[in-house]
Amino acid sequence: MKKNKLIKQLILTTLVMFSSSMVFAQAANTSPTGATQASNSFYNVLLSNGLLFFAGLTMLGAVLALFHLLNMMIKVQQLKIYQEQGIEAYVEKVKATPSSFWMRQYKAWTNVVPVEKEDTVMMDHNYDGIKELDNSLPPWWVAMFVITFALGVVYLGYYHVLGGPSQADEYAAEMKVAEAAKATFAANQVNKIDEDNLEASTDPKDLAIGKTIFSTNCVACHLSKGEGSVGPNLTDEFWIHGGGIKNIFKTVKNGVPEKGMIAWSAQLKPADIYKVSSYILTLQGTNPPNAKAPQGVKYIPEEAKTE
Amino acid sequence: MAQVETFYYDNAIVRKFAYATMLWAVVGMLVGLIAAFQLIWPELNLGIPYTTFGRIRPLHTNAAIFAFVGNGIYMGVYYSLQRLLKTRMFSNVLSNIHFWGWQSIIVMAAVTLPLGITSAKEYAELEWPIDIAIALVWVVFGINMFGTILKRRENHMYVAIWFYIATWITITVLHICNNIEIPVSATKSYNIFAGVQDALVQWWYAHNAVAFFLTTPYLGLMYYFLPKAANRPIYSYKLSIIHFWALIFIYIWAGPHHLLYTSLPDWAQSLGTVFSVMLIAPSWGGMLNGLLTLRGAWDRVRQDPVLKFMVVAITAYGMATFEGPMLSIKSVNAISHYTDWTIGHVHIGTLGWNGFLTFGILYWLIPRMFNTKLYSLKLANVHFWIGTLGIAFYAIPLYFAGWVQSLMWKEFTPDGFLKYGNFLETVTQIMPMYYIRALGGTIYFIGTLVMIYNLIKTIRQGEFIGDEAAEAPARLATDNVHKGEHWHRWIERRPIQMLIASAILILIGGLVEITPMVMIESNVPKIASVKPYTPLELHGRDLYIREGCLGCHSQMIRPFRSETERYGEYSKSGEFIYDRPFLWGSKRTGPDLHREGGKYPDSWHYNHMVDPQSMSPGSIMPPYPWMLRDEMNLSTLPRKIKVLTMLGTPYPQGYEDQAVADLKKQAAEIAGRLRIDGVKDSKLEKREIVALIAYLQRLGTDIKPKPATN
Repeated sequence: MKKNKLIKQLILTTLVMFSSSMVFAQAANTSPTGATQASNSFYNVLLSNGLLFFAGLTMLGAVLALFHLLNMMIKVQQLKIYQEQGIEAYVEKVKATPSSFWMRQYKAWTNVVPVEKEDTVMMDHNYDGIKELDNSLPPWWVAMFVITFALGVVYLGYYHVLGGPSQADEYAAEMKVAEAAKATFAANQVNKIDEDNLEASTDPKDLAIGKTIFSTNCVACHLSKGEGSVGPNLTDEFWIHGGGIKNIFKTVKNGVPEKGMIAWSAQLKPADIYKVSSYILTLQGTNPPNAKAPQGVKYIPEEAKTE
Repeated sequence: MAQVETFYYDNAIVRKFAYATMLWAVVGMLVGLIAAFQLIWPELNLGIPYTTFGRIRPLHTNAAIFAFVGNGIYMGVYYSLQRLLKTRMFSNVLSNIHFWGWQSIIVMAAVTLPLGITSAKEYAELEWPIDIAIALVWVVFGINMFGTILKRRENHMYVAIWFYIATWITITVLHICNNIEIPVSATKSYNIFAGVQDALVQWWYAHNAVAFFLTTPYLGLMYYFLPKAANRPIYSYKLSIIHFWALIFIYIWAGPHHLLYTSLPDWAQSLGTVFSVMLIAPSWGGMLNGLLTLRGAWDRVRQDPVLKFMVVAITAYGMATFEGPMLSIKSVNAISHYTDWTIGHVHIGTLGWNGFLTFGILYWLIPRMFNTKLYSLKLANVHFWIGTLGIAFYAIPLYFAGWVQSLMWKEFTPDGFLKYGNFLETVTQIMPMYYIRALGGTIYFIGTLVMIYNLIKTIRQGEFIGDEAAEAPARLATDNVHKGEHWHRWIERRPIQMLIASAILILIGGLVEITPMVMIESNVPKIASVKPYTPLELHGRDLYIREGCLGCHSQMIRPFRSETERYGEYSKSGEFIYDRPFLWGSKRTGPDLHREGGKYPDSWHYNHMVDPQSMSPGSIMPPYPWMLRDEMNLSTLPRKIKVLTMLGTPYPQGYEDQAVADLKKQAAEIAGRLRIDGVKDSKLEKREIVALIAYLQRLGTDIKPKPATN
C-alpha cells in the first residue's frame, strides 16, 4: 500500500513540475511580443492573456486526466491485492475509507438534504399543492454573494476613495502611449513623406494604388472621373486651394473642414495621400462629360512663375 | 376549523390573456423578423416611411415586451393568483377593463410608432396620452390584484405573490418618473430632464423595465408553474426570501451600466458596475431555486415538453444574468457597447427566458383550462428543438458580429492610423452574421407557429371550463401564528406592509443615483459656448427623433483613442444640457454622429438621404425620399419654443413669435448652398431635409476641437 502511495506522489510531483515549467516557457515566449503590443492596444494583451489562460486551462485538464488515469491504475492494483487477501480485508477497508476530498468539498459547498431524506426538511407550507423545503442557502452561493460584495467595496474604494484613475485620466494615458508609439515608428521610417519635399509620382504602380484609393474614398463627392459634384471639378486647371502636388497633398491631408473636405490624415497614410494626389494630377485636362464649372483660380506652377 | 366555502376561479380572463399572448407573440416576432431582414435588404421598407427600420425597431421591442410578455404576465398572474390565494379575482369588471385597456394601448402603440410619434426613449417611446392610458390600466390591474389579495382565504402569501407585488409597485414608480413630460401637442412632448440627467433617468427606467417587467413577474410565474408542472416542492424557502429581497434592492441600482464610458459622472458609472456584479448571486438564487426544485424529477424532464421548455428558460435566465454583470464591467463594456453583442445578450433573455417560459406555461395551462390533453406531444417536442436551435442561430452569430466589429473599430496600424478608417468596412464584414441571425429568427418564429397550431387543435378538442369550482375554508380572523415560525412569515400575512417594504427598498437606489445628478450642478459642468438649438435645428432634431435615427446612430463618443480618432473629441456632459430628450443611442449600426457637424458639405447630406449608397457604397441605410418631398409642418413650432423656455432653455423672451421667421432665414441659407452644388428644387427651403441638414451640421460643433495639425 505504502509503495502505491509513494508512486502516486512521485508521479504527481513530476507532473506538476513539468506543467509549471511549460507555463514558464510560454510566458517567456509571449513576453517580447507582449511588450511591443502593449503600446498597440490593451485588447491584444487581453487576447494573448486569454490564450495563455486557455492554454493553462487545457494543461490543467490534461493533468487532471492523467491523475484520474493514475488513480484508476492504482485501484486496479488494489483490486489485485484484495483478491489475494480476500473479501474481509476489502470490507474493512471500505468501512475505514473516509469519503474523498472532492466528495467532502462538494457536500460542504452544496449542503443539500438528499431527495430521499427531504421529508425531514419539508415545511408545513401548502399553496395550491405547492410545498416548500427548508434547505439551507447553498454555501457556494453565499460565498459568491459575499465575494461580489467585497469586490464592490474594493472597486468603489480604489476608484473613489484612494484616487484611482478617472476615465479621463485613462484616456490621457492611452493617448500618451499612442503618441510615443507613433513617434518611435515615425523615427524609424526611412522615406519620410512631407509636403515640403514632394515630386508627383509617375510610377504606374503608385498611380494604380492612387486610383484605387480615389475610387473608394473620393468619388462620393468628386465623382468617378473627377468631374465634381459635391466637391469641385479636379480635371480642369482651376484650383480653390492651389494645384500642383504640394498643394493637393496638403489639401487632402489637412482637409478644408469649413467646406466639407475631410482631413484624410486620420484615415490615409502619408504614402497613400501622396499616391492619390499624384493620381489626381493625372486627371488634368481629361475633359470628362458633365464636368462641374471651374472654381477658384487658374493654377500656375511656381517654376512657370519664376521663368 | 372554519367552514369550507365553495367558489369559482375565473378562467375566462386567463383565456383572454392567453389568446392575446399568442397573437402578440406572432406580431412581435414577425416585426422583429422584418427588422432583421431590413438590415440585410434595406429596400424591404418598400420605400415608405412607416415601415422603415428606425420606426419598426421600437415597434418590435414594444410589441415583444409589452404586448407578448405583458399579456404573458397577466395570463400567469390571473391564473396563479386566484389559486395561490384560494379566491376568485376581486372584480370581473376590473379584469375586463384591464384586458381591453391593455389591448387598446397595444393597438395605439402599433399605430403611433410607425407614424413616427415617439418620445425616443427606449422601451418608453409612446407619447404622453398613451403613457397616461398605461398608468390608468396599470392602476386598474393593481386594484384588482390587491383586492384579490385582501379577500384571500389563504393566510400567507406565497413567494410568487411577493414578486407580483414588487413588480407592480416598481413599474408604477419607473413609468411615472421616466415619462414626466410637458405636452406640445397631442402627439409631441418634451421631457423635464435634459441631457445626461435624462440619460440616467431613462436607463434607470429601461434597465429596471427589464428587471421588473421581464424578470420579477416571470420569476413569480416560475415559482408557481414550475413546481406545479414538476409536482415537486420548492427547493429552499430561505433562498426564496433572501434572493427576493436582495434582487429587488440591488437591481434598481444597476441602470448606469448602460452608460459606461459615456459622459455620465464616474461615480454613477461605478455604482452601476458594482451593483451589477453584486446582482449575480440574487439572480442565480432564482435559477437555483428553479433548477433544484427539479431534483428527483429530472427523468420526467426528458419526456415532458413543459418541463423541457422551463428548464431551458431557467438556464437562459442564468446565462443572461451572469452575462449581464460581466458586460457591466467597464473593460468588457468597452468592447461590447454599441455592438450586436448587446442584441445577442438581450435575445438570450427574451427568446430563452421569457419566450420559453411562456411557451411552457401555455402548454401546461391550455389543456387544463380546456379539460383535455395536449393535442400533440410530438409537435411540442418539435417546437422545443427548433426553438432552441433558433435561439442558438440567433444569438451566436450576433456574439461573433459584436466581437469582430468592436475589434475592427479599435484596431490601429503601427504608424498610428485606424486600420478600418471607413466605418462601412466593419459593417460589410459582419453582414454574413446578419444573414444567419435572420435565419435563426425565422426558425424560432416557425416554432411559435407550430405551437399555436398545436394549441388551437388542443382548444378545438377540449371543452372550456370558464368557472372552475374550488373549495377552501374561510380565512381565520386571527393570525394563524405558529410558535417558533420563521420571522418572514409575519410579512407574508401583511400585503400592505409587503408593498411598503418593497417600495422603500426599490426607491433607495434610484434616489441615491438620480437626486445628486439632478440637484448638484457640478455633476454636469457647464460649457459657456454651448447654445440652444436654432428653430430650424430643433425642427430637424424632432425629425431625427421621428425617423428613429437613434436606433442605428449613437451620439456619444467615448473617451477612447479609437473613437476620438474616428469621430473627434469625446463627448462632454455639458454639451447635452439642451437635449430633450437625450439621443445618445445604444447601438451603432452606422457611425456615431455626435461630431457630424461640419464633417461633410450640406449637399453631401442631401445626396446621402436621396440614396445612401451613392455617398457610401455598400451602406445598409435606407433612403429617405419623403424628407426631400415633404414640407416642414411648423404649426407647433412656437409652442415648442414656449415649452422649452418654460423648461429652462434660455431663448430670449417672446422668441416663440420670432422663431418661424428665424427658421425660414436659416432654411434659405442652406437651400442656397444646396443650389450652388446643383440641387434643383424650387421649394427647397420648405422641405424637411433642410431642417435635418441644419441639425446634423450643428451636432457637436458647440465646442470646437482644435483642427488636426499633424
